[in-house]
Amino acid sequence: MTLSKLTKPWEAMSYGFIDGSAKREMRRKMLKAVAVPGCQMPYASREVPMARGWGTGGLQVSLTLVKPTTRVKVIDQGADDSVNAASIRRFIASVAGTPTTLDTLEADLIQSRHRIPEEIMCEDQILVLQVPNPEPLRGVQPNMSIARQMHADADYGRMWLQLYEQIVRSGRVMQGASYPSLVHGRHVMTPSPIPRWDVPKLHMSRHLTILSAGREKRIFAVPPFTRVEPLVFDDVPYQVEDHAGLTCYRSGAKGFFMNEIPQDDGSSVYEVSDSEWGVKAIRAKDGEDVIQGETWYKDGEMPQ
Amino acid sequence: MAYVATRGGEAAIDQSERLFREEMGEITPTRIEEVKAALPYLIDRVMGEASLYDEDLAALALAQTGGELYEAVLLLRAWRTTQPRLSIAKPVEQDGLFTHRRISAAFKDVPGGQTLGPTLDYAHRILATNVLRGETFVPPAVVLADKPAKAHLPSVSAWQAENDLVDLPQPDATDGNDIPDLTREPLLFPSKRAHTLQSLARSETGSALALGYAAMRGYGQAHPTVNEVRLSEAEIVVDHPDGRSFSAGRVKISQAEVVDKKGEKLSLGFTATFGWNEVKCIAGATLDLNAPGAEKGSATEEEFFLYHTEGVESSGFCIHFKLPHYVTFQSSLDAMRDAKAKKAAERVAAKTKHQSEPAE
Repeated sequence: MTLSKLTKPWEAMSYGFIDGSAKREMRRKMLKAVAVPGCQMPYASREVPMARGWGTGGLQVSLTLVKPTTRVKVIDQGADDSVNAASIRRFIASVAGTPTTLDTLEADLIQSRHRIPEEIMCEDQILVLQVPNPEPLRGVQPNMSIARQMHADADYGRMWLQLYEQIVRSGRVMQGASYPSLVHGRHVMTPSPIPRWDVPKLHMSRHLTILSAGREKRIFAVPPFTRVEPLVFDDVPYQVEDHAGLTCYRSGAKGFFMNEIPQDDGSSVYEVSDSEWGVKAIRAKDGEDVIQGETWYKDGEMPQ
Repeated sequence: MAYVATRGGEAAIDQSERLFREEMGEITPTRIEEVKAALPYLIDRVMGEASLYDEDLAALALAQTGGELYEAVLLLRAWRTTQPRLSIAKPVEQDGLFTHRRISAAFKDVPGGQTLGPTLDYAHRILATNVLRGETFVPPAVVLADKPAKAHLPSVSAWQAENDLVDLPQPDATDGNDIPDLTREPLLFPSKRAHTLQSLARSETGSALALGYAAMRGYGQAHPTVNEVRLSEAEIVVDHPDGRSFSAGRVKISQAEVVDKKGEKLSLGFTATFGWNEVKCIAGATLDLNAPGAEKGSATEEEFFLYHTEGVESSGFCIHFKLPHYVTFQSSLDAMRDAKAKKAAERVAAKTKHQSEPAE
């Protein structure tokens, strides 16, 4: 027995950058998060070679889950070519040797900031959402230890009160993105700053969603076939963004979440926010043979 | 409209990084040596905030980032976190430190004496502009004392404890891998003592100062007296697999003990960090001193200052606002426009109702 037989040859970094002990902790915390849907699990959250707040939580999850055959898609604001998405995709591919894709249907793992793709994801896909602030109660209770206790007690009264006050003041719930949602009838979570349009996509979905906040060191999950219900009053229905009637000026796609592009003449045009979905629509229009997956929204409506 | 492959982002980020690096020029071993020799206090500060003691790596991080401190610290932290733990060094005791400077504001003289050591405290802050006119600044030579100052000194709080003026914290026998490690587990509150001290040790100097200063100015309950500030070198003693202990070298550390005088006994606040960084230690110790019983949400509450003095997290979050946020913005605009439309519709309805009422 020699020392060299006991060890591996020296390498500049571990596979997927993160070392073995950190990955083990990630796996354990992900399993815990899946076991208690919507409940925030604290984790060490190691530094990665990107600034905090730039997807380091999502990145740690992705780097832990990938193997050399995992097809990775990364989007930011729905777009694959957004600078930070491009940077994260390049990093994962370079340290883990994974193939990358822009196609939602082809991806095994999708890391995303602020959007869920428009095409329905299936059982063997994982969605990793980057989370800036994991605490839905932050607005009513900035102290994390008190908020933690409130979750333990399922004490969401102040959350409801906040929504009620918005209705009284403004005639409607003013929450834009990050709409607080009750998971599995127990924990209120933030779905990350996805638009209200995307929240119903988490409800009873077939794919696993892992939400990870690197800077705040919290991880939580929505396992497949789990109830995710936006907090609403019985007599004030949940309202997604009024985008059902908008048409993409580039692709002609209609009935999806849109980016508003201000024009010089004071008006606006709209382009579909899920960039690859837009590309597919253009290609299909041009007569190319593209596979357009089934979408969550049909004619601008989410079937119940 | 033809399909255009929109991959402009990747080319753009590649070029923007190149632009930054091109302006920085070549990084050579000579440059690293120069940074190390010329800027030891900056190296110390970076090593402290990175919680990684390696002057070469710190100099490299500074050279690579052009002195962007938050970037330099992040580089070191990201490197550090992937490194294996080979050994846990033996605890360092106060009187075992090789002390270069130790001063106390609490007494005119203290056991072991006041040792000024290297400091700019009493320097007149005048720029040596002659250097810019081509002259060389030659520092006047230090005249050696007849008798060298004592290298090993007890802490001032040890004397105070002997005189029943202060209760020292109970010695903690936790050893080796059992010591809670902030870099391998999350910070939760109430915080473990080890986590608090580790957090302060790697806190960002400016942030610790800002919150510490707020406490000193009056937003804290305790006014600090500097029991002692110490700059020293600590021996890193580790176990060899054959059972013997040996010194793997020395690291520069700084520490501050501050006390509050309100009760029947003094209470202690403490901070230590890698490298020589007096401001951070005094500010950190002041925060530590103020923490017990601090009101939730105040700047001297542990959760508040430990979260907000974390430089890698705070700077990262600050610059993340540069990322596109147009989806969330669009979502809020939608709610805002709808609320406005609802209000307008209500006004119209109220007006028509008013008009249709019969006149009396």
